[in-house]
Amino acid sequence: MDCSASDISDDSLISAIRTGNDAAFAQLVGKYKRRVFGLAARFARDNDDLDDICQNVFIKVYEHLPSFRNDAPFEHWLTRVAVRTCHDALRSRRHEKNNVRLEDRAFEIQDNAEKARDEARQARETLKFALSLLSPNERLVITLMELEGLTVKETAALTDWSEANVKVRAHRARQALKRILEEHNAR
Amino acid sequence: MRDKADERLDHLFAAVRAERIDTAALEEYFETRLLARIREQRSESIPWYALAWRMVPAFAVVAATIAITTFTFAPTHSNDLLAALNADQDEMVSSSYLIGE
Repeated sequence: MDCSASDISDDSLISAIRTGNDAAFAQLVGKYKRRVFGLAARFARDNDDLDDICQNVFIKVYEHLPSFRNDAPFEHWLTRVAVRTCHDALRSRRHEKNNVRLEDRAFEIQDNAEKARDEARQARETLKFALSLLSPNERLVITLMELEGLTVKETAALTDWSEANVKVRAHRARQALKRILEEHNAR
Repeated sequence: MRDKADERLDHLFAAVRAERIDTAALEEYFETRLLARIREQRSESIPWYALAWRMVPAFAVVAATIAITTFTFAPTHSNDLLAALNADQDEMVSSSYLIGE
């Protein structure tokens, strides 16, 4: 009988990967790729960037799997790796100039049927633009807490920052976002 | 205190949270692409600087061996001028002899 990846436990897959079984690694990737794609999509600029970030996440997992201890769930460890990789991606592009103005991203609303969907898309583009002006730390913390819905404690655990630090960064990020949106409205 | 800007920000967050980002197209054959990249990395030859870095312990052992050998088999000082001359220590011992050490 053929078993799907979700039927096999993470421990069994990890043991098999440690013996050099690439098929087991492919199964593990298949099991968790949606989770990683969902998180990385919050930080990626485009599809190429998203694919690159996700590949880097799983390459890090593959390389560091021998040092993974089973004292925490694999998914939690994977999420930490994914958060760090997204943070690295944000930091690597912090010196890039953001020349795109919000007005250039405006969408035309074709008809009433698409109005609601376009509003959501416009909100996403507006927020994406405002987030791109934040520092990597601020963007990371506001994305994890406001878009992924994590608590302060969970965010602190994933980022290795103290809870007080997470609160301060989240507050600063929120103030910065409000300022950006107000400046945009004033134009 | 919450103001209008907070409300607008919360509205934006809610709208983005509600929208599911569709990554299904990118997820297709992701494992294949990933494993191809891992195999490619494996097959790449090790660059010379990485090899040199890995050789550091070997270099350290060689340096330590040379140092130990040098100190262990160093010629001993002798007060006997004739013996020293025979042992090729003429310059050092003769200078010591002449200055009265």
